[in-house]
Amino acid sequence: MLEVKDLKVSINDKEILKGLNLNIKEGEVHALMGINGAGKSTLVKTLSAHYDCVVTDGSITYKKKNLLELDVAQRANEGIFMSFQNPIEVPGVNNSYFLKTAINEKRAYAGLNEIDTMDFLKLIKEQTSKYNLDKKLLQRDLNEGFSGGEKKRNELIQLLLLNPDLIMLDEIDSGLDVDAIKTVANVVNAMLDGKKSVLMITHYDRLLELIKPDFVHILNDGKIVKTGDYSLALELDKKGYEGIGIKDETK
Amino acid sequence: MRLNDINELTLPKKRDEEFIKVNFGELFSYDFKDTQTYNFDIMGLEVRRDTKDYENSLFDITKSLDNKQVILTINSNIPEPICLIHKIKDNETFFTNSLKIEVKENVKASIIEVFTNTSNNSAYSINRSFEINENADFEYAKIQDINDKNYLLFNLDINQKENSKCKITNFEFGNGFIINNIVNILDHKNCDYELNGLVKSQETSNTANVIKTVHNAESSISNINYKHSLKDYSRAVFKAKSIVNKKALFTKAFQNSNTILLSNDACIYAQPHLEILIDELEASHGATTGTLDKEQLLYLQSRGINKDLAYEILLNAYEGKIYHNINDKLIKEFLQTYERKNYV
Repeated sequence: MLEVKDLKVSINDKEILKGLNLNIKEGEVHALMGINGAGKSTLVKTLSAHYDCVVTDGSITYKKKNLLELDVAQRANEGIFMSFQNPIEVPGVNNSYFLKTAINEKRAYAGLNEIDTMDFLKLIKEQTSKYNLDKKLLQRDLNEGFSGGEKKRNELIQLLLLNPDLIMLDEIDSGLDVDAIKTVANVVNAMLDGKKSVLMITHYDRLLELIKPDFVHILNDGKIVKTGDYSLALELDKKGYEGIGIKDETK
Repeated sequence: MRLNDINELTLPKKRDEEFIKVNFGELFSYDFKDTQTYNFDIMGLEVRRDTKDYENSLFDITKSLDNKQVILTINSNIPEPICLIHKIKDNETFFTNSLKIEVKENVKASIIEVFTNTSNNSAYSINRSFEINENADFEYAKIQDINDKNYLLFNLDINQKENSKCKITNFEFGNGFIINNIVNILDHKNCDYELNGLVKSQETSNTANVIKTVHNAESSISNINYKHSLKDYSRAVFKAKSIVNKKALFTKAFQNSNTILLSNDACIYAQPHLEILIDELEASHGATTGTLDKEQLLYLQSRGINKDLAYEILLNAYEGKIYHNINDKLIKEFLQTYERKNYV
């Protein structure tokens, strides 16, 4: 599904990713771990075409297409979803209107008709009640005045309704209580149908306990320096980065 | 006819502090082939001579050409807004129109005025005078949708009596040369005055809002709030001056101008200005200028919304705050369904 080859990315002329390689196949769950500043968020931001990230070398192939030729919206409509670490507030834009617009943009991209309002409301009711997500969030303006937890729940509602193929979660567990983390895991696990893939960034084992990764990658100084299975995350949790031989290059 | 050539007129100059940055030259020097006063298509309205001495000489332009003023008196509550649609067709003509709206005691009323044109090189010179009596509640919305190479000079004088409310919303949609000159001298207690504006300009549109508010009595509120979204080569001036005099204890005086510049060539000159002679009041003034938030744009795009649509959604959200401030549901509905083509 996704093949990243020798990727070099700079932000403000500073090279953050220094030749990163990653291969994600259909149905796989990958976890990305690493010390602060290693380049984890830069990778997912680059995959979703964030304006900060300048690709200086390397290639990204997604569903056999050159991802670097697609803009932000095209990537989203091709099925890439990034859950933001801190979703921005957009006053004056109704959340429900935003979501319906996003769904219709995706449908138009796929050559489908717009979703009927009744079908949209039905879909929201079905999906939010299944995971006990507060659908009142949709009556408010997009992320405006939302608590940290509400913002993350709102990202989950978008995730459910946009139904992407590659789910990228950038520290979705940060600032969430135990029950909210369980909700995240329930949503993601229920979406895993053998075709969808996940790339999640986390610092903690708690989320990985609930969404079992097939691969755990340790990123250091802009490169993946170690790859293993879930046991690598457990070892990391026990010994820390130094304990598994990762030296903090930023010091 | 050139305004510059009318002897009895003392026209303001660009360098006058009150009108600094307002480019009058084009309007004052243009040679109009004809002048014309047009009347309302309403039967039975009283007509009087306008003898009032206004705060500035811009009011004198209409008066010097025709000093008759039509009087619209509202004696009882009206359930729906009165709509006054103005459309000029003749080219090279300077049109004048003067109307006084009297809202009687305890009456609730609302009015919408729309100014459009199909003319070339013509001008509206409009005088409006609002007299809002004790405990009256008046809401007024003006839509200006005048195209390129045409002018609108809109002078508004507001006179509020005790405990009255006056809410005005101006929508500037056209590409013409526009000057709004709005004066409210609050001589009575407990008046509530709210002035909102949306200046949505493009191409070579030139819009100036010159606003003067004077608080002379206790416990009144003035709240002036303008939003500008400027595209292409459009230019806007926002000059708001609020004076709070010694007798106007417990006044609340607010001014705010926000601008989004949507091109490198669009420009705004925004000058909110307070002159305060007392300590017992609440007051604030501010002006911001910027572009659309790129983080917000990215967020919308990251969910599959293309850049142009994301841009439009954010711009509508920004401008929407002015629409949301309107109290009268029917005025809101009118504005939501407003399209220029229906009025020209």
